[in-house]
Amino acid sequence: MQSRWDIGTPERPTINSETEKLKTELLTLNMGPQHPATHGVLRIEIKTDSEIVAHAIPHLGYLHRCMEKHSEHLDYRGVIPFVDRLDYLAAMSMEWTYVAAVEKMLGTEVPRRAELLRVMTAELQRIASHLVAFGTYILDLGPQTVFLYAFEMREKILRMFEEVSGARMLYNYIWVGGVWNDWTDEQLKNVANFCDEMELEAKKYYDLNSSNQVFIKRTAHVGVMTTQDCFDFGATGPVLRGSGFNWDLRKNQPYSLYNEFDFDVCVGTGEIGQVGDCYNRYIVRMNEVIESIKIIRQVLTKLEPGSVMGKVPKIIKLPKGEVYMKHECPRGELGIHLVSEDGGKTPYRLKVKSPCFTHISMIPRVAPGQMIADFVATVGSTDIVLGEVDR
Amino acid sequence: MSTQAGSVREYFSALFDAITSTARAMYVTFKYVWAVKPVSIEYPEVREVLPDRARMRLFNDVLNCISCTQCAMACPVDCIYIASEKMPEGAEIKKTSNGQAIRLKLTQFTIDTALCCYCGLCTTVCPTECLTHSHDYEFSQYTVDHMKYDYLAPDVIAWRDRIVKS
Repeated sequence: MQSRWDIGTPERPTINSETEKLKTELLTLNMGPQHPATHGVLRIEIKTDSEIVAHAIPHLGYLHRCMEKHSEHLDYRGVIPFVDRLDYLAAMSMEWTYVAAVEKMLGTEVPRRAELLRVMTAELQRIASHLVAFGTYILDLGPQTVFLYAFEMREKILRMFEEVSGARMLYNYIWVGGVWNDWTDEQLKNVANFCDEMELEAKKYYDLNSSNQVFIKRTAHVGVMTTQDCFDFGATGPVLRGSGFNWDLRKNQPYSLYNEFDFDVCVGTGEIGQVGDCYNRYIVRMNEVIESIKIIRQVLTKLEPGSVMGKVPKIIKLPKGEVYMKHECPRGELGIHLVSEDGGKTPYRLKVKSPCFTHISMIPRVAPGQMIADFVATVGSTDIVLGEVDR
Repeated sequence: MSTQAGSVREYFSALFDAITSTARAMYVTFKYVWAVKPVSIEYPEVREVLPDRARMRLFNDVLNCISCTQCAMACPVDCIYIASEKMPEGAEIKKTSNGQAIRLKLTQFTIDTALCCYCGLCTTVCPTECLTHSHDYEFSQYTVDHMKYDYLAPDVIAWRDRIVKS
């Protein structure tokens, strides 16, 4: 019997044979860590067969800042600046989720005006976040004009936030028990003006980009994530709604005051392209901007003067227990799991369930068989923010 | 592209759509040539007026500080270093601008601005409101060590009029 180790005399390599010349192998290509399609530092290791992607493996951890562990040594107020830095493009929504979790444990009553202002800021933040998603996505695909238009409008939102909170991106504005500062009437008038402006601007974006045949050819039928895929991976937000499934926490499990407002949930219809492709994910975001404007206008009519800060003890101590709070953030459902010890001043454990992490894990499912250019379009359409993935 | 035109007619209709939609988009951008004002600011010459609440470099008015260390406790990144000692006997007890007696002698008040995350939590707990966010945002340095500002240093005290919000 031949030994396992006996491989016999090796064949002499035939250098000049035809088969040797035509030998093919997969090419390993690193996309990132500084690729504009990734909105941060994501490295995707792709194995390509000429221009067709065979495998794609995302490598995470370039932006890991030990936020969860660090927050175990901070008091409950001090965690808020760290939560801001999760998704730095939608810091208001992040703060609100964390603060809502603490308030639920503490049993604080939030004044109505503060709660309305929170809804308003969160929706403004959703518009700002979708504008970045929209602008940078199109920048990935080539055109650069749209990016500047989107950032011009976003800057107006950031300016309003800066006037009220003092910072452009990392606000520390929503506090346990209410909000830091009240909006003056003049600032609220600015918001109303902005809503009118944004509506006109959204129409302009439709002419400029959404109806553009070149853009449609580039994104329709590309990177299809079916509803079943979304269920398997736990995708939420515009990715799930783009695949045609009607699920929005603001509508299905209303938190805060969202059951008072009249708005629609935007779902990918497949009118152009097919349900679950890049175009539908994109158009869901663009329609959500309009719905957010609707909500902001309703908030402005409901606002009444009053206090913006509830009664909160000077040093926050939570009872023993745990709470899981989830909110519909611009990129999907953010979950905050907060565990506290009895009378502890610091969280015992703070776990963040990030929507972007699930979306990033869907990329290896969708990637095989795509062209590299389509792959960039797919990664961009999931709208990943790495600050949230790596935490 | 994943979709391919099946027939000649489809090919030409797609071509027509592409030209018309691009022309419509070009019409939108063309308006920007004259009709829209530029939004960019030529920075060193023209400066943006910051809102009142803008959170830039921290400044401590040491003459009003009572060394209570509440700001250092509230700081989530521990970037404020405070040291104080007892007042020498017989020294007159000064008062802050809002009437609190200064019972401790401040010997060190240093903020590491490289570590600071500009969250503003320290300014909210200050009982005498001496620690504020100034509107000063141009303070780049060559080394990280230079980012530590000792607010008891005479040159920093001399900045007071320039930095403190009126």
